[in-house]
Amino acid sequence: MNNCERFGVSEEQLRALVAEGLKAGGDWCDLYFEDTAYRSLLLRDGEVGSGGYHVDFGCGIRVLKGEKTGYAYAETTDFASLRSAARAAGSIAAAASPHGGQPSGRSRGTAIKSDAAGVDFYPELRSWEQAETAGFVAFLQRIDAGIRARDSRVLKVIATLSYSVSNVMMYNSLGELTSDHRPLGSLSVQVIFRQGDRTENNSVSRSLRMGAEMISDEVLEDLVSRAVEGMDARFEAKRPKGGQMSVVMGAGASGILLHEAMGHAFEADFNRKGQSVFCEKMGRRICRPGINILDDGTLPASRGACNVDDEGVPGQKTYMVTDGILTSYLHDRISAAYYGVAPTGNGRRESFRYNPIPRMRATYMESGPDGTKEDLIASVRKGIYVDQFANGQVKIGEGDFTFFVKSGFLIEDGRLTMPVKDINIIGNGPEALADIRAVAGDLKVDEGTWTCGKEQSVAVSCGIPSVLIGKLTVGGE
Amino acid sequence: MITDKELNFVREALETARRCGAQKARATLSKSEEDLVATLDGEVDRVTHCADRSLSLALFVDGRFGSYSTNKLEPEALEAFIVKAVEATRVIAEDPCRDLPDPARCCRDALTGNELGLVDPERGGVTPAERQRIALEASAFPVATPPEYKIVSEEGEYSDSIYETVVMDTNGVCCRHSETSFDYGVEITVESGGEKYSGYWWDASSDHRALDAPACGRRALERAVGQIGSAPVESGRYTAVIDAEMASKVVSPLLRALSGYAIQQNSSFLMDSVGKRLFPDGLTILDVPRTPGQTCSKYFDSEGVATVEAPVIERGVVKEYFINTYMANKMQLAPTIEDATRPKVLPWPRAGLNCEAILRECGSGILVTDFNGGNSNPVTGDFSYGIEGYLFEQGRIVRPVSGMLMTGNFLKLWSRLLFAGDDARPCQTKLVPTLAFSEVDFSG
Repeated sequence: MNNCERFGVSEEQLRALVAEGLKAGGDWCDLYFEDTAYRSLLLRDGEVGSGGYHVDFGCGIRVLKGEKTGYAYAETTDFASLRSAARAAGSIAAAASPHGGQPSGRSRGTAIKSDAAGVDFYPELRSWEQAETAGFVAFLQRIDAGIRARDSRVLKVIATLSYSVSNVMMYNSLGELTSDHRPLGSLSVQVIFRQGDRTENNSVSRSLRMGAEMISDEVLEDLVSRAVEGMDARFEAKRPKGGQMSVVMGAGASGILLHEAMGHAFEADFNRKGQSVFCEKMGRRICRPGINILDDGTLPASRGACNVDDEGVPGQKTYMVTDGILTSYLHDRISAAYYGVAPTGNGRRESFRYNPIPRMRATYMESGPDGTKEDLIASVRKGIYVDQFANGQVKIGEGDFTFFVKSGFLIEDGRLTMPVKDINIIGNGPEALADIRAVAGDLKVDEGTWTCGKEQSVAVSCGIPSVLIGKLTVGGE
Repeated sequence: MITDKELNFVREALETARRCGAQKARATLSKSEEDLVATLDGEVDRVTHCADRSLSLALFVDGRFGSYSTNKLEPEALEAFIVKAVEATRVIAEDPCRDLPDPARCCRDALTGNELGLVDPERGGVTPAERQRIALEASAFPVATPPEYKIVSEEGEYSDSIYETVVMDTNGVCCRHSETSFDYGVEITVESGGEKYSGYWWDASSDHRALDAPACGRRALERAVGQIGSAPVESGRYTAVIDAEMASKVVSPLLRALSGYAIQQNSSFLMDSVGKRLFPDGLTILDVPRTPGQTCSKYFDSEGVATVEAPVIERGVVKEYFINTYMANKMQLAPTIEDATRPKVLPWPRAGLNCEAILRECGSGILVTDFNGGNSNPVTGDFSYGIEGYLFEQGRIVRPVSGMLMTGNFLKLWSRLLFAGDDARPCQTKLVPTLAFSEVDFSG
């Protein structure tokens, strides 16, 4: 079945809908068809006792006039409903003031053909839909049994498998017709431990854009081992005395620092509106030489991978910081036209219910020249080493970011000493970036279930090598 | 509104589920429609129109349970979906605790969906031009500013919407809820001395006449300008006053800890707490779900169980967990309601106090007006949040504060409750007033 058949529309109708959308004077129209099936299984108290299956189907229609957006969607794809949505979206043309600038359709970019164009970064080698659900049930039970076998303190295990397959089709006023098939599997495990009269918890996850081949012994062992890892330290952990101190961020999940502290401020919509702390710093040095920060849609099977973004622009790597210099923002077609550059494949959305906006994909920093994690720790007299995180947040205008540390250690005279947990760390993005003192050579991209919540929820990934930041504020008592 | 035809459609979905092999089932039809106008710097920036309709099914098949939803509601597609859902349920493990709620506990008085008077009929008559007028009139941009700062951007968003739902089950339960909402929110970013500061404010009501959109811009600007020159103060223990806009941040974790799921999984710092005095006399949280005309009031929960006004915590004593049918069977406890619908923190030690009065009563400390990230551990109750606000002395604000963290444990924090105000915002889901606590750790 081709996608026009899947969505019950003809190419002639696609053209007619775009024409309807532009009738009131818009300069760009695009259509986003989506058919998503989402399934979940939940293990609790040793049994897979609940599950779900959810279907989401529809088409979003966007009309632009300059930088102004009109958006509407229909949950059916009969032509009358779609035409009504196109008309509603097209009303932006009447609402927009004449001051918004009116780039032609062409200036929004046929996006440059990236090297990656035509490559499938997430083939579904084993179909989720056709795989036996009973096998998934058994897999969750093996996770439960494996965790209980490794640590006698385990009291409760909750394990969730969720997977979705989205088929999307996009058409725009340049006549570009693009399709993508997007599998996504996620496993999450939460464990409650009891030691004496004390209770502690741990949670781990793994999320990959791939088919049911994800259900493997390697993934099982990874989740089981990480679920029980470090629990001795967790039971001993205390809150440190709060205040400003050096922070060594462990490789991998510490990439949340990049996502929150810098990544959002690189998104072009915040810069176009003058809100970002980086809005007038293009081409200027923002951190020490040798540091490269990029947002990458081309990592195979990554949660942040995009064959094409949700505007039909090919997946690609975008260097925002090259050798310490700010070299690019993250663009959708609106900001690309505004800045007169090619879109970078960052126009993403939660579903057909939302208009695309600049979003990150897999954001990470390349490895640096400063040795190993141990070298960084050894260089700190008093500070903190952090390696597990729960969430983060940023205030775009101020650049103030926070991230919540689930576990780490105090560093005293170059050695890890007291375990710490459940502390928030706060800093300022540009200041923290400029205060990176050392970057180790151990880049790791984390494969947890990271979801960015900027207006809409979008799957992302993040990574970083171990880095030393001179001074951040650590919460404590 | 949900039509008779749609009600029949839900009944037929339940019948189809039975025919396909489900012994019991619950079906929930949800419909919503929203129109939105966003402005940027005093111009229309985005208009959107949304209309959603979806059917959720909870199926009980041979002692097994699954939950399903779809927005493909054509008869053939729905039948195929239900067949697949029943098959999918059969691979789930048997669980005798899964059941529909006792019909005697279910809501019988939500017949039209508008018993609470939450539908403003004017919503249907709002035209696109009218929406744009409201959004543009609410915008304060451009506004004359003193030389100390300039406005970088003003982003406003006006929307009006209607949400409707009907819950039916094979025990004959049928209850409906309808609610309109008129919302406006605005974020203003200002620049001063090369630094940017942002402020946000919002309002919402089910009645369009109660929405005060123009006031939002003024408040947002005040909050942005108020932060100019902000910086951390010395780390230490301070009296913390948390304003009513933000105070639910320290109440929500208590309610989550009382959830049946958290209790059953030992993932709660309030285990075995019912009947115990774990909080000071000053803390009373009442669930007030049936207040006519008030946003978020509702006659029933997602199982169709009737809501009731009841104390959650009364003078420091935990009165109930939130236990749905499944958790009640699992833990052999009496079921209550699945969650607090509209929890309200009562004033203490006296009525009538607002934020300014509490600052005067407290003398000195830190007034928290915004949280920046952070989290809490559900098992231990430990928390750590980024904050911004103001240092106050002798009851008066003396300087803005940012880049600081507030850290502690919820049980310890609440044991140091000084005041609960009488100024909860009616537009919020949780009616939490300005709160004050002594000896809170701040680091910066």
